[in-house]
Amino acid sequence: MMSVFKSCLKFVGLIGLCITALSANANQLDEITKRGMLVVAVPQDFPPFGSVGSDLQPVGYDVDTAAYLAESLGVKLELVPVTSANRIPYLQTRKVDLVISSMGKNPERERVIDFSRAYAPFFLGVFGSSDAAVASAADLAGKTVGVTRGSVEDLELSKLAPEDAVIRRFEDNSTTISAYLSGQVELIATGNLVAAKIAEKGNSRGLKSKFIIKNSPCYVGTHKGDTELLTKVNELIVAGLTSGKLDELSMKWFNAELPAELKL
Amino acid sequence: MDYTFQFGELLPYSDLIARGVLSTVILAIVTTVLGCLLGTLGAAARAGKQTFLSRAVGVYVELIRNTPFIVQLFFIFFGLPTIGIKLTAGEAGLLAMVINLAAYSTEIIRAGIESIPKGQLEAARTLGLSRTQTFTRVVLPPALEKIYPALTSQCIIVMLGSAVLSQISVEELTFAANFIQSRNFLSFEVYMVITVIYLLLAILMRQGFKLIHYFMFPNLRARS
Amino acid sequence: MSVFSDWDILRNLLLAARWTVVLSLIAFAGGATVGLLLTMMQVSGRTLLVRFTRLYIELFQGTPLLMQLFLVFFGLSLMGLEVSAWFAAALALTLFSSAYLTEIWRGCIESIPRGQWEASRCLGLSYFEIMRHIILPQALKVAIAPTVGFSVQIVKGTALASIIGFVELTKAGTMLNNATFEPFKVFGMVALLYFLLCYPLSVASRKLERKLNVAR
Repeated sequence: MMSVFKSCLKFVGLIGLCITALSANANQLDEITKRGMLVVAVPQDFPPFGSVGSDLQPVGYDVDTAAYLAESLGVKLELVPVTSANRIPYLQTRKVDLVISSMGKNPERERVIDFSRAYAPFFLGVFGSSDAAVASAADLAGKTVGVTRGSVEDLELSKLAPEDAVIRRFEDNSTTISAYLSGQVELIATGNLVAAKIAEKGNSRGLKSKFIIKNSPCYVGTHKGDTELLTKVNELIVAGLTSGKLDELSMKWFNAELPAELKL
Repeated sequence: MDYTFQFGELLPYSDLIARGVLSTVILAIVTTVLGCLLGTLGAAARAGKQTFLSRAVGVYVELIRNTPFIVQLFFIFFGLPTIGIKLTAGEAGLLAMVINLAAYSTEIIRAGIESIPKGQLEAARTLGLSRTQTFTRVVLPPALEKIYPALTSQCIIVMLGSAVLSQISVEELTFAANFIQSRNFLSFEVYMVITVIYLLLAILMRQGFKLIHYFMFPNLRARS
Repeated sequence: MSVFSDWDILRNLLLAARWTVVLSLIAFAGGATVGLLLTMMQVSGRTLLVRFTRLYIELFQGTPLLMQLFLVFFGLSLMGLEVSAWFAAALALTLFSSAYLTEIWRGCIESIPRGQWEASRCLGLSYFEIMRHIILPQALKVAIAPTVGFSVQIVKGTALASIIGFVELTKAGTMLNNATFEPFKVFGMVALLYFLLCYPLSVASRKLERKLNVAR
């Protein structure tokens, strides 16, 4: 019995080795062209970047950007819905080729993954009901702020907020947004475009911008060392910005053209 | 395998992990005490005649036992505020754990009560003990002793289930894991360490229950 | 935003419930297979095998299912194995349920009085003959009710697969809640669907148990 078990283990180990060897040597861009499929991590809980339609399929600016990249590469697109918390592990463990998930750049993240040039604007801020008296980070004292764990908002707010501010960290954006809408937190830290979408909902208690934390545009993330892929993605983003393709998507999802500084 | 494990990177977060352990332990203790108490009351109601109360308890038990804990948690945390009942994350989490354990312990304790021969009950009544006295002195102790292993296993299962509370921002042990993971992206190392801590907690809890058993059933100990 | 009618919500939940059912079936089949193997090892009486099974049960019953899911999902990938949320969820649930099923089945086999073993030995039957003809047929009967009962735990366990992004009933619920923001209605419906899946199993388990007790 034990020998059977041992040989099973060996077999599993062997498969493991083969797969590691494959993924370690191949150029990821070639790999994508060869399999004819681009696998992209997108949000599904972060409108207007990514949310779900009535058939529960992801839709939004990030999803359309992913579709544009796949189309330009001449391959099919496979979308993998992720949360803010698990998108980087997905990339690290090569479950996806790219993360296009309204992801901001910071030094912690740059240690573990690579970033493209920016493809979408994102202003981080603190938002709350119109009667909450908050105008700066210092005013957060004694207030409860909801934020998505591991997002740039989380990292920035953790630095800015005074000691006695209560930061409630939720697993994903959908839980954070739900926590605000059901009144579990007074304020939330998120992106301006996302807040605008939430404000459209009936029970948003007149969600308004309280103060802006940071301009933190969105980048496409790639696995560390996928240089060819990253170069290609950058080329395509620049092409999309000059051709007006990304502006078109921006009009569709954000009701505005992309800001000029993004195109520099 | 082109991956080097970096367990050392977790050291700066030992405070956070310690706080997580403390929260999980407190949640487990409070849940165990309240859940078993409510379970005993529920079992008493269920074991009696078919009244409205016993039926209501029956419905409650079935509802809780046949739906996932995480759905109950979401319902309490997000659903209840829309009808005006607002609980903080900690309260919602504790409530979900207690109603869960109470439902299971009601069934477990009831099974124990039903295993006590009817003759003992009748004998106690003939000796002039009141209904309450019969229940607390004659029926309950041997019933509890009988189902003690099942009951304590369930308490441990509920403790392990508290890992889900991190989903609604309760800052327990899994929250610590998720938090660290979101800061240094060492998912495997973090979850490995936290899993081992859970295992230790479970073992510790079982030993604790053994100790309680020793003190709780002194008569039975003497007899055996 | 309000593109979702009540029917849309229910339809999407029902569609997602399919995956809850499929995942439950896979986990049950996997858990039963591994569990059977482990039970055999457990009752074999060989010290090493018994110790291994004990350790296995201790590990999987002593740690949260959520952690097991995370470790399988992220851990296997680090070892270079490509795992989808599907595979990770099925594997973690298999490991989890096999530990509990082994415990249940061992109890059933041990519930057969030792005297029967001794009597069979005296009749000159071998270990496997005793298992095959004397112990297992009886143990199987005892095992049915608690096994069906445990399947409820498997169905409920699949809800945690939502956390690693597997779109089943609970995940669909959180997605729909996010899109509609009607948590009371959405999670109420989700709970109801789980109840409809689990309650018949609970009732069946209880009926089987009662029938068996009468038969004895």
